[in-house]
Amino acid sequence: MPWSRFDQSHAAPEGGGRIITFKDAIREAIDQAMIHDPRVFAIGLDADDKFGVFGSMLNLAHPERVIGAPISENAVTGIALGAALNGLRPICIHLRVDFLLVAMDQVVNYIAKWRYMTRGRIKVPIVVRAVIGRGWGCGAQHSQSLGGLFAHIPGLKVVMPSNPYDVKGLFLAAVKDDWPVIFLEHRWLYKNTGSVPEDMYVLPLGKGRIARAGNKLTVVATSLAVIDTLNAVSGANLDVEVIDPRCLKPLDEELILTSVRKTGRLLVVDYDFPACGFAAEVCAVVAEKAAHHLKSPVQRMTFPESPMPASGILEKAYYPNPDSIAARIRAMLDGVC
Amino acid sequence: MMTGNTLTRELGWRLLRKLREIRQFEERIIPVYPTDVMVTPVHLHIGQEAVPVGVCDHLRPHDLVFIGHRTHGVALAKGMSMGSLMAELYGRTTGCAQGFGGSMHVCDPANGLPGSSALVGGSIALGVGAALAARLGKRDQLVVSCFGDGAADAGVFWESLNFAALKSVPVLFLCEDNGLSNVMRKEDHLHADPGVVAGHFMQVWRADGTDVLSVREAAGEAFAHIRATGRPALLWCATKRWMKHQGVEADDLACNPVDREKDCPIRKLEQALLSAGLATQAEIEQLGGEIESEIDAAIMFAEQSPFPDPGMLATEV
Ligand SMILES: Cc1ncc(C[n+]2csc(CCOP(=O)(O)OP(=O)(O)O)c2C)c(N)n1
Ligand SMILES: [Mg+2]
Repeated sequence: MPWSRFDQSHAAPEGGGRIITFKDAIREAIDQAMIHDPRVFAIGLDADDKFGVFGSMLNLAHPERVIGAPISENAVTGIALGAALNGLRPICIHLRVDFLLVAMDQVVNYIAKWRYMTRGRIKVPIVVRAVIGRGWGCGAQHSQSLGGLFAHIPGLKVVMPSNPYDVKGLFLAAVKDDWPVIFLEHRWLYKNTGSVPEDMYVLPLGKGRIARAGNKLTVVATSLAVIDTLNAVSGANLDVEVIDPRCLKPLDEELILTSVRKTGRLLVVDYDFPACGFAAEVCAVVAEKAAHHLKSPVQRMTFPESPMPASGILEKAYYPNPDSIAARIRAMLDGVC
Repeated sequence: MMTGNTLTRELGWRLLRKLREIRQFEERIIPVYPTDVMVTPVHLHIGQEAVPVGVCDHLRPHDLVFIGHRTHGVALAKGMSMGSLMAELYGRTTGCAQGFGGSMHVCDPANGLPGSSALVGGSIALGVGAALAARLGKRDQLVVSCFGDGAADAGVFWESLNFAALKSVPVLFLCEDNGLSNVMRKEDHLHADPGVVAGHFMQVWRADGTDVLSVREAAGEAFAHIRATGRPALLWCATKRWMKHQGVEADDLACNPVDREKDCPIRKLEQALLSAGLATQAEIEQLGGEIESEIDAAIMFAEQSPFPDPGMLATEV
């Protein structure tokens, strides 16, 4: 299983090519990983049910390596870790990231620390997939993102892909990696389409991309927030650079700093809680390493400092969207262009 | 509090009213749900009404019930008003959680409902804690942790069971066993019957969860035991889910055949009342009509209530 064969250039294809959905790109990545490497298996509540984790696990070549589970997230996550410690490469699946919280003991106390505590003599090649959901009155316990919470923990890599090409390459990279990876997929991206090569390829964890080039302001965003920001910017034709770091950790600081040195302005759009979060981290990096390039204070656009409400009218007010992002960018650029 | 099950008119009528309130309330959700006036995932109790009604018939307003995601039946059985629940489903300020909670997060402190959880399992422990508080405070208060068969998969269920037994916490563990965890059959998520294992930790009662008199009788005995011994008990009720796990469509799983005649808690009780001469068909129909008007009023109340003000978003946090 020479995974090194798949270390290719990480440039996105220039248009054309095969167009598939985000969901099918994940499905293909899982399928290819399992075909390529017999050590790869999937485990989790509903991993093997007829809905196939929102379609992302359907028609796999190796269904015998997909193990469904009871509502026992903490044990199942520990079981996945145990399998990783004994030579396998588990993909541990959670239909909602909120359910993963039940396994926080295993994730934070065990998975994140095992490699460190064993001085790297034991590797922890585990991918924990969790889906971010929201909307339609899902409420406080079924709508969280929590990327920043996981990124806070030393020993975990955290990936939040925004498009089909990235999700496939990043997922394969996560399976290939000998570190634990928390892989957060936003459910609202599943139907989005894009050009995706059929072959296996990996994108390096920790290398971001410039989603759109621009000069007056840098916006850093991940996952669904990238798509909303691109819509905001292209709709209003704003001269803004959009950076998609792809991973919260390791963070592609250089990409962000280079952009901010050019534009002199930073807005982080982070679909997560604000306090001590990813947006705060990016602002801190810029403040530490590029403060003298800033022409105006950095800004964050996040969820409010509150859990998610249920009622539709409150949900609408709660979440940032392309319009509110465009308005914020315009306000930051007021008098600049 | 009587535990015996002599079917009197008063008892039968009280139980029938509650069963029908739940059934008819939820049946009114079905036609409007596809129009998106309720923007909240619902898990209906239809078919399972006997469990909350049979248990809650023993409870006073200050006795507590903790619930998971399938809330409506327990909430109504425990005394929440239909208007308050309906308005919550409609996302209005007059809802029990001012529209912030939706179907899975209901509360009514005055009626012993301290809240419910959309995450499976965790609320089982809350009932143990509340019962511990009642014991420490020497309060005359019963506490119930209500959960499904799927929740018995979770570590927190077993940890709660052990703690309650070990520390003599006077709580009732109430399992609404509909044989399903979402689309998974019980055989596919539980290796053995947790009631058997639980029997090593505490006394276990079993009831037919499609028969309110069976549930009520077993619950009465379990509560009497809890009161007399100060120890926990488990009541395991095998019941039937008629609807899909979530949403308003009839269930269509091959492993879950439903006989709407045989498995109906309402029909069972009505037959018993009719054959004992304790009610007439005309009276029953009249009761149905009365409840329908109450639901009309609840829906009108919900529809006419204001939506919450987004300015409230960051309050209570
Ligand atoms: C911790 C957690 N894991 C998974 C889920 C998803 N989920 C919601 S309800 C449910 C099935 C629960 O079955 P059971 O406890 O038997 O209750 P029922 O729905 O049958 O009333 C599942 C798996 C969840 N809400 N929380
Ligand atoms: Mg169940």
